[in-house]
Amino acid sequence: MAVYVKGVGMTKFGVDKRMSYERIYECVEEALGHSNINIDDVGAVFVSSMELDTNGERQRHTGPMLSSMFQKKIPMLTVTAGCAGGGAALWDAINFQKSTGVNNILVLGFENLVANISENITDEMFRGGERIYEQAEGMIFPAQNALVAQQYMMKYDVSSDDLALVALKNHENAFDNPKARFYGKKVTLDMIRKSPVVASPLRLFDCSIPCNGAAGVVISTDKTDIEIVGSGLSTTNLTSFERGDMTSWNSTIKAGKIAYEEAGVNVKDIDIAEIHDAFTPVELISYEDLGFCSKGKGADLIRKGDTNLNGKIPVNTSGGLKAKGHPISATGISQIYEIVSQLRKEAGKRQVDDVKTALAQNIGGAGSVASVHILKKAV
Amino acid sequence: MIIRWVCEKDNKKWLYPIEKCIYCKGPITKQKGKKSKIMGITKVNIPSPMHPIIPYHVMLLEDEHGNRIPKKTMREHKIGKEYVVERAKKNDAVIITKIKYDLKEALNESLGLLNSYEIKENDKVLIKPSIIEPAYSYQAVNTNPKLLDALINYLKEKGVKDIIVAEQAMLGNDVMVSAKKAGILDVCKNQNVNFVDLSKTDYDETEHDGFKFRVAKEILERKIINIPVMKINSQIGVSGAMENMIRVVDEETHKKMFVDDIEKTLPKLIKTLPKFLTVGDATMGMQGQGPTLLGEPAFLNILFVSKNPVALDAVFSEAGMLKTPEYIEKAGEMGIGNNDTKNMEIVGDELDAIKYRLKAAEKGCTAHPNIKLIDGKSNSYMFNSALKITSKLVGLLGYELHLVIGTQLTKDMLKGKERVVAYGKDAIQKVNDLGVKVLAEISEDIDDLEKVVLLKGVLEDPKKKRITQVDKVKSKLAKFGGKIKKSF
Repeated sequence: MAVYVKGVGMTKFGVDKRMSYERIYECVEEALGHSNINIDDVGAVFVSSMELDTNGERQRHTGPMLSSMFQKKIPMLTVTAGCAGGGAALWDAINFQKSTGVNNILVLGFENLVANISENITDEMFRGGERIYEQAEGMIFPAQNALVAQQYMMKYDVSSDDLALVALKNHENAFDNPKARFYGKKVTLDMIRKSPVVASPLRLFDCSIPCNGAAGVVISTDKTDIEIVGSGLSTTNLTSFERGDMTSWNSTIKAGKIAYEEAGVNVKDIDIAEIHDAFTPVELISYEDLGFCSKGKGADLIRKGDTNLNGKIPVNTSGGLKAKGHPISATGISQIYEIVSQLRKEAGKRQVDDVKTALAQNIGGAGSVASVHILKKAV
Repeated sequence: MIIRWVCEKDNKKWLYPIEKCIYCKGPITKQKGKKSKIMGITKVNIPSPMHPIIPYHVMLLEDEHGNRIPKKTMREHKIGKEYVVERAKKNDAVIITKIKYDLKEALNESLGLLNSYEIKENDKVLIKPSIIEPAYSYQAVNTNPKLLDALINYLKEKGVKDIIVAEQAMLGNDVMVSAKKAGILDVCKNQNVNFVDLSKTDYDETEHDGFKFRVAKEILERKIINIPVMKINSQIGVSGAMENMIRVVDEETHKKMFVDDIEKTLPKLIKTLPKFLTVGDATMGMQGQGPTLLGEPAFLNILFVSKNPVALDAVFSEAGMLKTPEYIEKAGEMGIGNNDTKNMEIVGDELDAIKYRLKAAEKGCTAHPNIKLIDGKSNSYMFNSALKITSKLVGLLGYELHLVIGTQLTKDMLKGKERVVAYGKDAIQKVNDLGVKVLAEISEDIDDLEKVVLLKGVLEDPKKKRITQVDKVKSKLAKFGGKIKKSF
């Protein structure tokens, strides 16, 4: 059974003080309108949220909460997978649709993350790390990724300037994305290079920006102009230090392989990609794990501008997690939002010419879970 | 030390101490690295509640088997260098060990880092846990039975045959009931080790600086290993290595130690006891309104080990970012031990690297928000008993009142306090001596239920001036009713 995208919706990513229900309502309204259906036509909901302790909402049991919001008595399931929650919820929804034939499924990701002091938000995110070896040893996410980045940089002669180019590219793209946290905000190479060190070698501008937001997509068995042709998901060890090669993330490689095979395409067919750049080196590692280049050559792509908006394979045209923003569980769905916008030529100044096939990669933890989805313009 | 649990047949490794391979069902061996090298290091500049002090570093260590772990340090290190944990050189060193899933391994590692601690086969060992209330082990009130089990195993592996576990509850509590609920008796039974209620044993007199202690003979005659739960204590600051030894004296001495100022008599007691080893149980640890059930687990997952209880308590206080309790300061002044962590040998994990702000106790706080406790240096039994009564009144709407205890109450302490209830003979005597009018006098000798009913009457009625005969009859009836209810 083929699975299609009917429509997408998304709030602006930012630090507004709205409550989650308001953001959900806004993005669902947009997604339903974009799909040209109403809420009665939805047969199931898959939702991802971290159900955070620190945001003051004290709201767990998200599925039934949505049942109250939308006055619907249908299957509504919560999927959590750290930062890969959105991608995992979509993967689940696709498999559910294929096995049950439910006509329209709403897939949502939302987060009210920036709602407390930064120490508490850091601590909340920190709980995604392994508790005995990582949390007890101060391995907050920037530290985890810093140690990976250091190994990668030493092994493949990659510099901080290369990482800065990733940040610059994504900020340039976000400048033109009205839904991005950094929309209209100019960020220069000098600002990136002079930003404070968070966890060496990573600087502030090597790190994605936490924010609040919601995103939704309606998938359908009805044929539309966009088909989800490949969907893969895989996990690997929770801890990056346990992996034989810390500079390559097996979850991405496996999820990518599944998605490429299912789609019947290879990397040369990919016109654009939304990649999980939680930290700038992760974007370079992901180029390699997804086959955009050979191992250790990720930096060459950024140096040559191949992943820029006008490059051979534009990456993170939305601005990515780095500059569009990273509201955890909403991120994976917001990647689909960007891809659908590009495939439908609705991306405004960020529009890439002639996009037919696109890829979205969403990662949870320091590479411990990854989903890869490939979407194609239906013929 | 880097450890993995390995199935050689399937070439799989686990971080967790599993017992058999889930693939081949075959045995698992423990792979321990002998040397580790620094493969990477990052300097972290953003604080988090678990790691409030910045900057700190996280090293990536790798051993000869290719196994890796991250390790937090406050020191600068260089990539490519060997990382070595040195053994203690001084007798009063404190060993800090984070537990990496395997409590027994952490215990062995900690004891192995001590400077010259010897256990002989013919040693008569007394293990002194903390058992103060009938509480389950998850509540962190009593010593973790798994730590006791690991310690007994360690001693047996050293060939020690004569081991007892000894404790007493003091002043009306039954230690056997508490030990049963805490899981301590089960460990003793499984290990075929006797559990001794010290209150039923003989005592000998010892003396220091004019204060006479009657100490359990078993304590004076055996090699002691003290395994206190490391806690916040809302009465004296911290319960740990020193405080846990209060319960080796008889009841009269215990009371007198508080009357004569526990801040001074506790160091004297430690001075008079034979030297002992302490394995501070912070497998959980307690924070908040400890040391009783009003406190909450802190989930520290750490062992503190030292041959000097003063040094150990000082390190724990600083690790929890607490004010150093007065008795630890006094013990330092008396030369019983080093309480200056800056000039102390600390081995294993670094003190600054484990610092984590524990929830401190609020002085005068009880379980009921409207009942404040004024402590005139009461003994720990009266202190805990007062807290226990107030815990039975939680949820009732009440009016502010002050529950006063202890022998050292002063007019200043009671100044401006309108609704006062004196609890215990000492407090009753003291308020009468001071000429302070109180709403009620509650003796410690009456039944707990009667105490609760009496206090409830005063708490709920803002106009109540005194406890009346009617109240007392009601409390007797409540006690009677409670007994009837229990008999069904």
